[in-house]
Amino acid sequence: MAVAAPVQVQGQSRTQRWVQNRPQWLRDTQVFRRRTITFLQRAFTYIVLVDIAFVFLVPIFYILATSLKTAQDLTDPTIVWFPSGFFWVNYPLAYLAMNYPRSLANSLWISLGAAIGQTISCAFVGYGFARIRFPGRDALFALVLFTFLVPPQTIIVPLFILYKNLGWINSYNPFIVPSFFGHGLKGALFVVVFRQFFKTQPWELEEAARIDGASAFGTWWRIMLPLSTAAIVVVFLFSVVWHWNDFFEPFIYLNRMEHFTLPMRLSVLSPSLDQVTGGQAGDLFNEALVMAAVFLVILPPLAIYMFTQRFFVESIDRTGLVE
Amino acid sequence: MKMRVRRNEPSKPMAGGAAGAGGAGGAGDSNNMPPVSRRRMSLSFQRTLEGYFFVSPWALGFLIFMAWPLFQSFFLSFHELQATSLSDLKFRGIDNYKEAFFIDARFLPRLKDTLQQNLLDIPVIMIFSLFSAILANQKIRGVTAFRAVFFLPLVIGSAQVIQQLFDQGVGGAVLSRGVNIQELAFQYLGPDAASGVEGILNRLLFVLWKTGVQMLIFLAGLNSVSPVLYEAARVDGATDWDRFWKVTLPLLSPVILVNLVYTIVDSFTDTFNQVLQYIQQTAFAGGFRLGYAAALGWVYFAIVFIILAVVVRVTNRYVFYAGDRSS
Repeated sequence: MAVAAPVQVQGQSRTQRWVQNRPQWLRDTQVFRRRTITFLQRAFTYIVLVDIAFVFLVPIFYILATSLKTAQDLTDPTIVWFPSGFFWVNYPLAYLAMNYPRSLANSLWISLGAAIGQTISCAFVGYGFARIRFPGRDALFALVLFTFLVPPQTIIVPLFILYKNLGWINSYNPFIVPSFFGHGLKGALFVVVFRQFFKTQPWELEEAARIDGASAFGTWWRIMLPLSTAAIVVVFLFSVVWHWNDFFEPFIYLNRMEHFTLPMRLSVLSPSLDQVTGGQAGDLFNEALVMAAVFLVILPPLAIYMFTQRFFVESIDRTGLVE
Repeated sequence: MKMRVRRNEPSKPMAGGAAGAGGAGGAGDSNNMPPVSRRRMSLSFQRTLEGYFFVSPWALGFLIFMAWPLFQSFFLSFHELQATSLSDLKFRGIDNYKEAFFIDARFLPRLKDTLQQNLLDIPVIMIFSLFSAILANQKIRGVTAFRAVFFLPLVIGSAQVIQQLFDQGVGGAVLSRGVNIQELAFQYLGPDAASGVEGILNRLLFVLWKTGVQMLIFLAGLNSVSPVLYEAARVDGATDWDRFWKVTLPLLSPVILVNLVYTIVDSFTDTFNQVLQYIQQTAFAGGFRLGYAAALGWVYFAIVFIILAVVVRVTNRYVFYAGDRSS
């Protein structure tokens, strides 16, 4: 029994003294009780954790299981989860129907371009808000928060007109150019994240750099930015993921199928399958095919997540998102 | 050193002049004073310039991509605009707004539905994400694997994917397979409750799928609570339950406010939001009624803004800012 030996300390109450010198049998049962309670608590925690994980995993299992079903499997009431065999042919069909390489390239172009833009610009702007005192700073920062609240639909009409006049419709500029100004999809949020991050950093390095004659830009670029990999990774990943999954704006600004991103392709799956197979979509198009396409769409982010989940999960603590 | 010398130079003649006026005795003092104050002024001015330099991209972007469109959409909301060329504008006064509230039979019901649904969803999202964040913050083995799973929807939960799953009925049906909860509810609670239960079940999966960011923010908040406080509470004889209500929750309250604001904004700009879909249809699918769509957008924005203002005001009263001692 790894129980601390009873120690007599002066000035304790009678109860405390009794507790410390209680008989061994009582000590044993108490240890047993405590251990049982800890065990039960832990078991309960695991059960609840598994339950919640189930909620998040079940759609993925569903997508995978359904994508491997044949047309008969889909209507067979005895087959709920597991298909009668691995019916892979849905995957090449979905691949062709979605024009996968092209759509993947489109998605990557938008997500990576916008994510690079947002990471650089938001780090730059966030530093200004966090570390430099200037008149009107707080009012400007209030504006940053304000932009987060404006629903994109409120300004979509003028933006559409603006981009149309610039000739940006059916190009990726509406996604990438604003991101280099710290705007775009949830840009305000990223500015806030960087501001919070820079606020938690120590002043000493920066002051040393300034005394040695570095400019403000030099301090940011050479001293602060290399220190902020945690924030950079988080912002970059979130920006990629959110742009990848974005839906509203791509559908406004892109209306030719060859420009569609991967998720957008899902909504035109049936007509494009028709095109690819020469009018045979009626026989081939079913739930299983849709789920195969869905799986192909979630595959790239899933793969990225497999390698980067550590950053999602852990580096939040290090970004000082919450002061 | 170099900087100082350079800065002092231009102010020398002035210092000399001041010394001449003050007389020989005060020459030492006044020789130093003006350059120092001058340097301080120019330094703060330099700081200001640097500040504007750093926020200028954002400010420029704000003018182009936010302020001007916002103004223009406000302007458009009082006009009739059918095509995207601004030349054929027709002034309508507040007719667009009148139409939204008194004529359009599709806008208000959608607005009501959206408000109702969000009223239901937001508490579910908040409580669930706090609950799962606390669970994911336990110091037990394998908890990082669970965390990784909890953030999955964040990565793959694109609106299009959810739409496809929704179309196939992956909601209540998959979650409650084996136990026919709808039927049970129908038998024991009546048809009204059954349809309510069905609605909740069907949406539950997708509502829970939207908790990733909130969970992340809560996790960060939980991590920032000092373990010393828990230790102190334990020494004072607090149970786990007490510690949650008297240590965790008050210290987490600023984070809860942040999360609440995020959730409200996120839910009200959700892709499946009926009002937003309607605005989009009005603008781009149903005959390009851009002026009217702008008016609808403004009505919606105003409503969301009022809700947020009320929520923040009310919640702020209960928020406990630790370490915020008049500093």
